[in-house]
Amino acid sequence: MDRIVICRCEEVDLEEIEQTLINYQCSMREIKLRTRAGMGYCGGRTCRPALNAILEKVSGEKQPHQIPLKVQPPVRPVSLGRIGETNYE
Amino acid sequence: MYDVLIIGAGPAGLSAAIAAREWNLNVLVIDEFLKPGGRLLGQLHQEPDGKWWNGIEESKILLEKAKELNTDIRCGISAHTIEKTDHGFSVYTNEGILEAENLLIATGAAESPAPIPGWTLPGVMSIGAAQVMTNVHRVRVGKKGIVVGVNVLSVAIAREMQLAGIDLECMALPAINSATESHGSPKKVMKALLRIAHLAPSTAIRFGSRFMKGDGTKALAVKFFPKSGVKMWGMPIHLRKAVTRINGTNQVESVTICDITADGEIIPGSERNIEVDFVCIAGGLYPLAELAAVIGCPFQYIEELGGHVPVHNEQMETPLEGLFVAGNITGIESAKVARAQGTLAGLSIAKRKGQNLAKLENQIQQAKMNVRTIRENATIQFHPGIEKGRSRMEEAYYDIVHG
Amino acid sequence: MNSHRILDHPVLGKLTIEKEIPFTFDGKKYTGYEGDTIASALLAQGIRTLRVHEESGSPRGIYCNIGHCFECRVTVDGTPGIRACLTELNPDMIIESGKQQFSPFKSTENQDDLPRTYAEFEKQLKGEKEDEPDV
Ligand SMILES: Cc1cc2nc3c(=O)[nH]c(=O)nc-3n(C[C@H](O)[C@H](O)[C@H](O)COP(=O)(O)OP(=O)(O)OC[C@H]3O[C@@H](n4cnc5c(N)ncnc54)[C@H](O)[C@@H]3O)c2cc1C
Ligand code: FES
Repeated sequence: MDRIVICRCEEVDLEEIEQTLINYQCSMREIKLRTRAGMGYCGGRTCRPALNAILEKVSGEKQPHQIPLKVQPPVRPVSLGRIGETNYE
Repeated sequence: MYDVLIIGAGPAGLSAAIAAREWNLNVLVIDEFLKPGGRLLGQLHQEPDGKWWNGIEESKILLEKAKELNTDIRCGISAHTIEKTDHGFSVYTNEGILEAENLLIATGAAESPAPIPGWTLPGVMSIGAAQVMTNVHRVRVGKKGIVVGVNVLSVAIAREMQLAGIDLECMALPAINSATESHGSPKKVMKALLRIAHLAPSTAIRFGSRFMKGDGTKALAVKFFPKSGVKMWGMPIHLRKAVTRINGTNQVESVTICDITADGEIIPGSERNIEVDFVCIAGGLYPLAELAAVIGCPFQYIEELGGHVPVHNEQMETPLEGLFVAGNITGIESAKVARAQGTLAGLSIAKRKGQNLAKLENQIQQAKMNVRTIRENATIQFHPGIEKGRSRMEEAYYDIVHG
Repeated sequence: MNSHRILDHPVLGKLTIEKEIPFTFDGKKYTGYEGDTIASALLAQGIRTLRVHEESGSPRGIYCNIGHCFECRVTVDGTPGIRACLTELNPDMIIESGKQQFSPFKSTENQDDLPRTYAEFEKQLKGEKEDEPDV
């Protein structure tokens, strides 16, 4: 099988995400922490719908109203110098 | 301290600014793109009456109106995050912190991907990227390409590329995997196209009506998936072929395409390579609601609206006091709907400032009607059942606020 | 040259070029037009690769063209992480593509694999580069 990259920023592929989902029966948050999918430069804007679709497929559950992969501020990467000015948690 | 800060200068943000300025509010509009207009800028469709919907011209009209009213619009500013304060909101941007009593998030939509092997190669781009390059920047994205993913948006943009003299080999589906299932199954794609085919208004999606001849699902399966595809302006649209791989070392050189069953399974031995130098990926649109999420607005997952949408009522208010949303962040619809929603949001914000309430209330009622009428008469619809989605949102708002 | 421009368009009309804008990309001189983004000016010159993935080195170009994916980030006049698709081209901009960065913190399977000296670290880097395919 050819490699299918899902998260372009961190180069995490479909197989790794599916395997992690199957092995750990885990949430999107845990997938993110284990594989780094959705944790890259773009903040998950590109891969989020794909990750949700994979989760739906593997778990067989419809998407919840709560966003499966929590959106973390800042929604655009900020240089370190700027972070000092603001109050990101 | 602004009366209202508007994030996003698309049709929703701009018309909200106009409505708010007409009521003399102190307004600031910010947008991270280099010019105002949002995704309206790239749009170019033929209406049922043959007239062109030219997004650049439509944006100009909005912009001129906004300028007449001395609206402060600043481009090149990205909002990074938002915080609630005692008096309203602080918006953190690359140009510092902006304070406003009311906030309108009109950040529009983003594209869903349809990941297939090789899609990170230079020369592979989203279909929207090609639209902006073609119509806004007037740069050809390549010599010959293929569109992967068949939906209303990709068919419309394929036509736009053809108009600009860009050679497209064909449109086909992405190979099916657990991330592309809804875009890779001919049956599902067919179903989605059929549900919008009754509109068949614009030339761009009239091809859908060709699928409508005959009835019953059997006919669907046999008759409407012709092996050679259907042709639109000489370009084949294939629902029974899938792109399984994009090939190349440093950039796109070719794609591998296969015949597929009605469920999207690859038919062994049907593989062949087509030389192309660009590929457009079309996985559809979803509401870009990240800023509403970071500030803690509640969400609903409503498929008919395109995914997770911040909870709001018909007046475009969210349950968070002073926070409003308008345009595609509230559900994927055409620019005309976004524009009408923007006007409504602008008026709702003016109402919160408590001016000439009777007159305003009247305008708000009219603006609401306007949104509904435009929705009903929409020639471009991204998701079937949009009205159903809207009423589900209305219920959700009521449950959260009053329940 | 700017052969990729759509000069005539049946609906949008002729492309009016107001002003040429000179710039450099990875040390080479080019010209774009007023109103271009960095991304459109480069694509008009046939340049598609704007960076390589910092870790794997796989080549990348624009993907979304509207500021969402951050695939197009380049260094402009010394400032890294600038989105080429959102940034207006200005005269004499010095633009550089994003390069591969060898991460000393790459995850290791086995503690024994970790380098103990700088020389070992460098050796591993080289070894890694030879082993890893380009894509
Ligand atoms: C790529 C693409 C192509 C489309 N093509 C069509 C089409 O051909 N026909 C059609 O009918 N509809 C199309 N649409 C749907 C489109 O969303 C609507 O037609 C309409 O433009 C929505 O208007 P809006 O004002 O809600 O958002 P938009 O027009 O998308 O405007 C939102 C604006 O917000 C800005 N923004 C977003 N986030 C931030 C931030 N954090 N900080 C600062 N600014 C921000 C963006 O730069 C953008 O200018 C397309 C959508 C996309 C994403
Ligand atoms: S191409 Fe996606 S951010 Fe520039």
